[in-house]
Amino acid sequence: IATMEDYDYLFKIVLVGNAGVGKTCLVRRFTQGLFPPGQGATIGVDFMIKTVEIKGMKVKLQIWDTAGQERFRSITQSYYRSANALILTYDITCEDSFRCLPEWLREIEQYANNQVVTILVGNKTDLAERREVPVRRAEEFAEAQSMLYLETSAKESDNVEKLFLDLACELIREAQQNTLDNTDRAPVPGEGKPISYLSCCSVN
Amino acid sequence: MEEAGSPAHGRGGPAGLSGTPGDPAGLSAVRTETIETLTELEDLERVYAQLCAEEADVQRQLETLAGQQSNIETKMLVLQRMGPNLQLIEGDAEQLSGMINFTCSLAENVSSKVRQLDLTKQRLYQAIQRADDILDLKFCTDGVQTAMRNQDYEQAAAHIHRYLSLDQSVIELSRQGGESTAVDASLALLQEAELNLKALVTKRLEEAVATSDLPQVERFFKILPLLGLHEQGLAQFSQYLCSQLACKAEQNLLVASGSDVSERRAPVVYADTLTLLLEGIARIVETHQPIVETYYGPGHLYCLLTHLQRECDAQAQKVVDKFIQQRDYRNKFQVVQGSIMRVGPAEKIEPRELDPVLCEVTLMNSRAELYLRFLRRRIAADFEVIDAAAPESLVSEHQQSLERLLKDCQLSRTMQELIGFYIPMEEYYMRETVNKAVAMDTAEVGQLSSSMVDDVFYIVKKCISRALASGSSDCVCAMINHAISVLETDFREVLVCKLRAGYPASALHDLQRGVSSAVSLMQSSLQHGKIQTLGIESQEQAKSTYLVTLNNVEMCSENISTLKKNLESDCARLFSQGVGSEHAQAKIDSCLSDLVNTSSKFKDLLQEGLQDLNNTAIKPQVKPWITNFLSVSHNIEEGEFSEYEANDPWVQQLVVQLEQLMSEFKASLSPLIYDTLTSLMTSLIAMEMEKTVFKCTFSRLGGLQFDKELRSLVAYLSSVTSWTIRDKFARLTQMATILNLERVSEILDYWGPNSGPLTWRLTPAEVRQVLALRVDFRNEDIKRLRL
Repeated sequence: IATMEDYDYLFKIVLVGNAGVGKTCLVRRFTQGLFPPGQGATIGVDFMIKTVEIKGMKVKLQIWDTAGQERFRSITQSYYRSANALILTYDITCEDSFRCLPEWLREIEQYANNQVVTILVGNKTDLAERREVPVRRAEEFAEAQSMLYLETSAKESDNVEKLFLDLACELIREAQQNTLDNTDRAPVPGEGKPISYLSCCSVN
Repeated sequence: MEEAGSPAHGRGGPAGLSGTPGDPAGLSAVRTETIETLTELEDLERVYAQLCAEEADVQRQLETLAGQQSNIETKMLVLQRMGPNLQLIEGDAEQLSGMINFTCSLAENVSSKVRQLDLTKQRLYQAIQRADDILDLKFCTDGVQTAMRNQDYEQAAAHIHRYLSLDQSVIELSRQGGESTAVDASLALLQEAELNLKALVTKRLEEAVATSDLPQVERFFKILPLLGLHEQGLAQFSQYLCSQLACKAEQNLLVASGSDVSERRAPVVYADTLTLLLEGIARIVETHQPIVETYYGPGHLYCLLTHLQRECDAQAQKVVDKFIQQRDYRNKFQVVQGSIMRVGPAEKIEPRELDPVLCEVTLMNSRAELYLRFLRRRIAADFEVIDAAAPESLVSEHQQSLERLLKDCQLSRTMQELIGFYIPMEEYYMRETVNKAVAMDTAEVGQLSSSMVDDVFYIVKKCISRALASGSSDCVCAMINHAISVLETDFREVLVCKLRAGYPASALHDLQRGVSSAVSLMQSSLQHGKIQTLGIESQEQAKSTYLVTLNNVEMCSENISTLKKNLESDCARLFSQGVGSEHAQAKIDSCLSDLVNTSSKFKDLLQEGLQDLNNTAIKPQVKPWITNFLSVSHNIEEGEFSEYEANDPWVQQLVVQLEQLMSEFKASLSPLIYDTLTSLMTSLIAMEMEKTVFKCTFSRLGGLQFDKELRSLVAYLSSVTSWTIRDKFARLTQMATILNLERVSEILDYWGPNSGPLTWRLTPAEVRQVLALRVDFRNEDIKRLRL
């Protein structure tokens, strides 16, 4: 039952990736316009909401910012299944965080639903002089995994807005495609509808 | 503008006649030259008249001026008399000025003396202060020596404290003064005494700490702040406290490891040991905070607890290590992880074995959370006292150090690791136990639903409640997420499978329906991937399974809503206080709100199941019963109509058949589901009836008969469902109305502007179609109708 809240779409976005690649900074930059330097590691999972307007539609983004540290892995894993989108983040100045990506993809494969939209993000472009992962390499990797790819700087606010808005657009597109498919054929019992979009019928 | 400007124009005008009286330019407005140029009598007369008027005017002015003469003369007289008085006033004024000057200089004189006095007084005070200080200095010097000799360290420290609080500039000044040698000597003595005392007291404190001599520890601990050695005092004092703590903790751990397994608290003995440790620290804070506050002032609790936390971390780690070792915690986790990943040895762990260890872990975490909350509250309150007068930067620095202490301490990290292992194990426990409940599912006769629904929800609730008991909001959220996954995927799949098996059509009805439908049934069963080989008994079994499953699905969607409501209030109670509680609450609420989706997924499944039931079990039966209507002629005369009245040809049997058909469902479905099913059946009947009626022909009396039959049917159906069925039968009722008309044209009494409250559900074409069913209505009349 669609609730009469003031939005047309609700999407869950989960950020994952190694510790210290700047997930929290990306979320803070997007939701609050802040870049808080020198803050501690995220404990467990953090949660923010931002409502954006896209093509006249109110889109509520529920953003789950997960801790990158190993000991929180079992907490963060529980969020994959209901995520509509995953932002897989690495640090362009840290080869290690890039090399861990296949491991993250395995985790996504195991826990996320198969309709999830995954985007690869290389953060910290403001530290270009310390870059360790060439753009080409990241792009090739993303392409091979059929992911979108974007480089951002939470510090300089580069591409951060674009990251979340592009993602929201993609999710709207998929949601609309989904409702089209669903009206095409009645869902077979048991197959189910893996993601339920709380779309609101009221247009105010 | 024009009006205002008009006088100017007038004056400068060519006539030049209109001068105002009293014009300063001349006595008269009419110039002599002008008069000389005048030749016309009229002009002359006019000028003459003007001059006469002017003369009269001048005359009047002269008279007024003359009248004022006496008045002016009186005034002159008064002025003359005032002359001498003015000279008198001038003299007085000069005298006054002289006096004021004198007073002024006198006052300045006096005030400068007062100022000088003030300055002198101030200097006098300073001199006294200095004398006092020097006296103090001497007194301190003597006092320190005596006190040191007498080993009265408190007194000595008090003297040193006095010396340290003397104004250093005063001491400098004294040194420059005459008695510099004496002061220098005193100072040197004092400085030496200070160093000696510091070294001595520190050493004695060290000794006292080493020998665990509490009175001595407290004694020297109190002296150190007098010597300005706050940090050192706190460090050494906490060293003493830590050693006490370590000693007690080691004892406790030893007792715990050696405890009897049969003891009541044995399953949670490590949680209890950890509790003892944390409570011990809390007790230390309770006991020693007053001393620290009295002798060190506020704001020093943080420093003390930072030292204590290091010991706490070490001791807690020992307890946890022992727990992991004794309970085989990590190994259990690895086995669980292995069976989740479906890799490694096929070793499987019995979920029941996990039960105690899961309880113990959550208990440990909840104790740690409680302890950390206690630390936060105490330290924050202690900082608050000094924060009131501190600059903003210091306040935020305090906050940050507190956060760092709580977040980065080993205790937090260790607990996070334990919870990290706990979550997959709890998830495994939940999944496995749910599977077990499904496997052991039994449906008692007379029960609408089967045992597994209650069991599954009991398990889910138990697991989330256990996570809640840990006091970690992230842990609760993770378990809510997993519970949703288990319900929505695993358990729903079980129910879907049972529903997919379908509701078998009974063999008896197959016979009734004849071979053709049996063949089609066979085909449909083949399509479902199974061949109808079930005996009557197992068929009954399959039927009841299907109906029980429907009830189960409904119960699930209800239970999920209840679960959500209960968890909401539980969480609100648990996370209603403390820093960040709002954030934790928001996170949990967000996870819980997903349960709404889960509940509606079960509702959708129920609808699908009922639709299937309606299609497979009700439709094939009801359809032929309705079709029977065709075998009862409605093209009838008086005689047949009366006979129908005596022996009902169709509707009563239909009602009996429906009653029979539904009785089975009524007995084994929950009232709500049964009602929905009846509603589905009602729609089906209405649809089939409509199709059938269009295949019939009616006489006037046949129409009346149909109307009667429809009324009984609607009355019956209304009695068995709480849904309103009037709407579903609206079209049929309107068809009956049409079939009951006397003449074709009578329809117009009900149509268009005459329809009154009636809303026609039939299109004009359909109305014509229905009218055509009456054998006695002529086609031309129907065609001629204007609808």
